[in-house]
Amino acid sequence: MVASADFWLTQFLNGLQLSMLLFLLSIGLTIIFGLMHFVNLAHGALYMVGAYAGVSVAASLGNYWAALLAAPLAVMLVGIVLYALVIRRMRRSGPMNQVLVTFGLIFVIVDLVRIVWGDIALGMEQPAILSGPAEMFGVVYPAYRLFIIGVGFVVMVALSLVLSRTQIGAMVRAGVENDAMASCLGINVERLFFVVFCVGCALAGLAGAIAAPAFSATPSMATDILIPTLIVVVIGGLGSLRGAIAGSLIVGFIQTFGAVVLPGLASVLVYVLLATILIFRPVGLLPARS
Amino acid sequence: MLEVTELCKSFGGLRVSRNIAMKLEKGERRVVLGPNGAGKTTLFNLLAGTLQPTSGEIRLDGERITDLNVEQRARLGLSRSYQKNNLFEGLTVRENLALAAATARGGTSSFFSRIHESREVRETIEEVAEMVALADKLDLGVAHASYGNRRQLEVGLALATKPKLLLMDEPTSGVGPGMIDAFHRLIASLPRELTIVIIEHDLDLGFDVADRITVLNYGEVVFEGTPDETKGSDVVKEIYLGDWQDDA
Amino acid sequence: MFHQTRLKSFAVTAVIAGLSLYAIFGGFFPREIVVEIALLAILAISLDFVAGYGGMVSLCHGAIYGIGAYAYAGMTAIAGFDAVTGTIAALLATALFGLFVGAVTANISGIFFIMATLAFGQMAYVVIFEWKALGGDDGLSGVSRYDLSAIGLDLDDSLQFALFCLALVLVVYAVAAFALRSSFGRTLSGIHSNENRMRALGLSAWKHKAVAFSFSSVLAGVAGILAAQHTMFVSPELLVWTVSGEVLIVVILGGLGTLAGPIVGAALLVFLKHEVSAYTEHWHLIIGLFLIAAVMAGGRGVYGQAEHMLRGRIRRPADA
Repeated sequence: MVASADFWLTQFLNGLQLSMLLFLLSIGLTIIFGLMHFVNLAHGALYMVGAYAGVSVAASLGNYWAALLAAPLAVMLVGIVLYALVIRRMRRSGPMNQVLVTFGLIFVIVDLVRIVWGDIALGMEQPAILSGPAEMFGVVYPAYRLFIIGVGFVVMVALSLVLSRTQIGAMVRAGVENDAMASCLGINVERLFFVVFCVGCALAGLAGAIAAPAFSATPSMATDILIPTLIVVVIGGLGSLRGAIAGSLIVGFIQTFGAVVLPGLASVLVYVLLATILIFRPVGLLPARS
Repeated sequence: MLEVTELCKSFGGLRVSRNIAMKLEKGERRVVLGPNGAGKTTLFNLLAGTLQPTSGEIRLDGERITDLNVEQRARLGLSRSYQKNNLFEGLTVRENLALAAATARGGTSSFFSRIHESREVRETIEEVAEMVALADKLDLGVAHASYGNRRQLEVGLALATKPKLLLMDEPTSGVGPGMIDAFHRLIASLPRELTIVIIEHDLDLGFDVADRITVLNYGEVVFEGTPDETKGSDVVKEIYLGDWQDDA
Repeated sequence: MFHQTRLKSFAVTAVIAGLSLYAIFGGFFPREIVVEIALLAILAISLDFVAGYGGMVSLCHGAIYGIGAYAYAGMTAIAGFDAVTGTIAALLATALFGLFVGAVTANISGIFFIMATLAFGQMAYVVIFEWKALGGDDGLSGVSRYDLSAIGLDLDDSLQFALFCLALVLVVYAVAAFALRSSFGRTLSGIHSNENRMRALGLSAWKHKAVAFSFSSVLAGVAGILAAQHTMFVSPELLVWTVSGEVLIVVILGGLGTLAGPIVGAALLVFLKHEVSAYTEHWHLIIGLFLIAAVMAGGRGVYGQAEHMLRGRIRRPADA
């Protein structure tokens, strides 16, 4: 099966686009997981809220860019409420209880979304300058999807700079490595957790708003994206930016190329990789603390 | 009975145990002394199999056990009590001892037997409870037991497996003088065929109970001898009392 | 440690008796509800065995249930084997899957263990979904119920099938209780309490955990076989991870580590679901809030709380 270079290039871009979406979701989850030892299964639900918030703002204001700004803020607000009511108290509970509570949150958030927005998939208009095709490396590819890749890269670079060059970034890295020690050094770990959690939520909201024009907002978004995100976090390694990048690229590409090269087997492949990592190197490929 | 040769353990560049050599006869009571951080518990971890040595050999009754894991060594008759209580929380004293006695006896995988309630296990429980003075506390929940009782149970669990080699890590840590005496009598009452290694901080108890003493410092064996020889050794005095000559 | 207390016996008998009466005097729909409860109860008991008594919180028991259902359906409806062979095949399939997952995850703990089971469950889901011969997304139909005419039972009758399922709940409970009281079960409790100490006492803990997971999977397989026969149809939806989540919720709502709690929890959840659904489409919201509140309040579960309060008044050997 010899396909043209164009075909592979298109697949490459598809893989990159999926990777970027996964990255936006997994980076929040992995830092929260690595820093707070908190498993938030409702992270996918927050992504869904971002998509719906984006849809509503875009529909009422008629402006895509406003939606892109509003969605992360809206989800961050939801995150603050969740943090105050539930997460702060469950932080020190065992993994099973965290799984149960956040599972319950998925139920609650998904149903609330269904009450407000109904069950049908809702679309969102792509902004005029980004709709239509673009040319990249000699291949024609939807401009909007290139935009998704672009946003992903910008966030990646921004976070990389924040984590490595700023004091708050240093505090986050210290907290991930050893939160007890970091707290002894005078870092207000509780406040740090809160800030990190909010940023994670905002990123999830951003991912939702960006995905909505391409994929539509549906209630099933909450659970559909959760497993791939968890897989990225585990494979990539807990608590690290590099891990999130590596994990999202690996999963994104395996799923994209796998679907084309080995349809049917592709989905199993990711799970086989996940199981292998969990057995032989449960901390992941590039964890923050090894 | 137990032979340790050139045992070394390093964590990266940090050498925690250096060329440790020990030879124990069957039935010997060996006490391991040494200041904090000398590597005594690490030695126990290496002997029991919790840690794998970087180099060196361990032989039990002539058989090489260096590559065996914790459970395999336990099945050869090696038993251990811990410095920090390592009990079955949420269960009673009786249930704790039952687990130890039954697991050591074997046959714990059967769906069709009830060895934890068998006569053999019950007899072992009563015997051990008597030895560690917990006979009247068998139905006490471990969570409600005093620290001293928990320490007694800790030793009891190690004894309930009817071992050949018993490693006791600071068995009297944190208990009062009355219990130290009781413990002293317990050691004296243990079967003579049982080989015992005890890490101790209480020097009186150590000197009293030991047939021979091994002193560790900075991961190395710095002295080995009888209690009298140890008391007379300058090396040991310096470790515990410091060097006074310079202050003269 | 598991002890068959009078409270447990009372709870189990009361629920089963109550459901039997509900099936006998109710019509078709009550019987459907009773079957739904019975299957969920069996599945929840199987999960409590490893999670409550073994400390292994699995998120793949839904998938195991699905494997049992598909194995039975495939062997009987497609390959044309008889019911007995189909049953044996299904129980063998779940036993092997459980043995494999249990062995491979034996040295993993905490959230990673939960995620590992999630991964394996999803793997099973994807394999079955993609397996064209099993019908894929459309599922597999043509499964028939056991032919017990030899002993005068007609399982095609909704009442008899419902009572048959309830009887099997009692059987599965009794088998699990028997196992927990055996040497194997006591040792499992020991592993749950302090795995490292058990190893230091000479136990190959990983082998024990693998067998425990396999045993639990066989019980889950029983539920799967019944599920296949109930609707006479199987679909990949049985293996979706949210099913595993719901089984865990049932165990928690009833009481983790009580064995009787899961039966109470199953009845509770199914009735709650149907009652709430009668008023609103959004029963997930109610269940979700209920669950969050239950876990944040200490999470002993309805039956578990009763047991706890009773223990406060009577001195009993520790019922861990």
